[in-house]
Amino acid sequence: MIRVNKVSMKFNLGIEKNFSIKEAFISAFNKKRRPKRNDFWALKNVSFEVKKGEVIGLIGSNGAGKSTLLKVVSGVMKPTTGKVEVNGDISPMIELGAGFDMELTARENIYLNGAILGYSKKFIDEKFDEIVDFSELRDFLDVPVRNFSSGMVAKLAFSIATIVNPEILIVDEILSVGDIKFQEKSKNKMMELIKGGTTVLYVSHSLESIKDLCDRVVWLEHGEVVKIGPAKKIIEEYYKAQMGEEMPKKVS
Amino acid sequence: MKTLKNIFANFKKYQFLMSQLISRDFKVKYKRSVLGIVWSLLYPILMMAVMTMVFSQMFRFKVEGINYLVYLMTGIVMFNYFSEASNSAMTSVVTNFGLINKVYIPKYIFPLAKCIFVGINFLLTLIPWIIIILLTQFGLGTYPASINIYYLVIPYIFLCFFLFTVGIGLLLSCVSVFLRDVFYIYGIVITIWNYFTPVFYSIEILPDYLQQLFKFNPLYQFITAVRSIVLYGQCPSIGTLGLIGLIGVATLVIGSVIFKKNQDKFIYYI
Repeated sequence: MIRVNKVSMKFNLGIEKNFSIKEAFISAFNKKRRPKRNDFWALKNVSFEVKKGEVIGLIGSNGAGKSTLLKVVSGVMKPTTGKVEVNGDISPMIELGAGFDMELTARENIYLNGAILGYSKKFIDEKFDEIVDFSELRDFLDVPVRNFSSGMVAKLAFSIATIVNPEILIVDEILSVGDIKFQEKSKNKMMELIKGGTTVLYVSHSLESIKDLCDRVVWLEHGEVVKIGPAKKIIEEYYKAQMGEEMPKKVS
Repeated sequence: MKTLKNIFANFKKYQFLMSQLISRDFKVKYKRSVLGIVWSLLYPILMMAVMTMVFSQMFRFKVEGINYLVYLMTGIVMFNYFSEASNSAMTSVVTNFGLINKVYIPKYIFPLAKCIFVGINFLLTLIPWIIIILLTQFGLGTYPASINIYYLVIPYIFLCFFLFTVGIGLLLSCVSVFLRDVFYIYGIVITIWNYFTPVFYSIEILPDYLQQLFKFNPLYQFITAVRSIVLYGQCPSIGTLGLIGLIGVATLVIGSVIFKKNQDKFIYYI
């Protein structure tokens, strides 16, 4: 379903500095003063496979390369070396509400955002009521999103993003948005999607939810795969490595 | 052949997104204006009135034997399309970075959507253009414009003109990702280009060698072709029409190839 094969991703951190004519001149004539190429490998030789219907969790500290990996898999970035093969429709829930236009009304944004996520007009027409009901924003359909509170924007975005039934779902920590009631509702919706037999790639810092949901876990650190294995086992090792102590049996 | 098929399949797949982006532009453009889309008609008419006043009354510009009002309007309407479309296409990739960074969308959509959006506005401005042409039949200006069968060639010229604009738009939007200076440079370039395109004057007032040089300006070719139909009642020669087609297609191909080659690198530069 998803095959990530020896993927490496290089960013050049020096790029911003090397961006003026003065610098360009200096570096053209003076080799010593040429800005050092400050290569940063966000991913190094990452390989793993996700089978159909499998739920894979990605863990690792901030900057470990989890989000970069999701972007590579969803096609936003091309890997510097290596190859990513994906069979099936991808629904990326990387960032909610990407492409919302604050000037447009909620109704208009449902169509715009839906189109950006790759839905067809027919699909949105059919699911329109479902989206609106789930977002609990029927009274505000024709209000420009500019006037929404951030919680309302998040609710709307979540409702649009989760209406699909994709073959592959990519989720970057969006489980909890909105007020308490909506948080619970959105969490259930995510569970429903994840447990619905789709292939899922899931990033979260909540080890509990990863343990609950995922079959296997990929542990990334500094762009490299530390370990891949059954969720429970890897998470306990990860917790130990991070906190220096055994994971408490039950966190509630 | 296969690539062409792929290209059209891709168009079809993202057609809905394209139409959403274009209608978004319309909604945002006329948000909170009382007259709304009527401005698309009214604005060029009012602009024309001002320009005509300035050039024909104050500066006493005229071109012998033809209707200067139609001459001026054809030039302005076409040049404005090019200038507005290429400008907004240029900034489209950079301004939509928030999206490009998060969701996979073919990036050519942004400059293309802008060229189409401005193109629809351009088609609307053709309504007052045609009304003026009709009014010249009833004594508006010294000479009437010509109405003839060759008008059927005009859509072809506009199509080539559109392809040319999209090509330039793709090129600019690509280069500007790597070099933001292009935003400012192009502002100057377009002003120079404006004066070096015979929009409000005729190239016959120029010395001979300059006239020859001006013929290398693609915009001159497009505008002159339309003018020769509308004002002189003459169909441009097959050679001219072929040249126009070649300019359009070649620019589009060059723009697309450069854009395609570099689009994967955009993400590092924005």
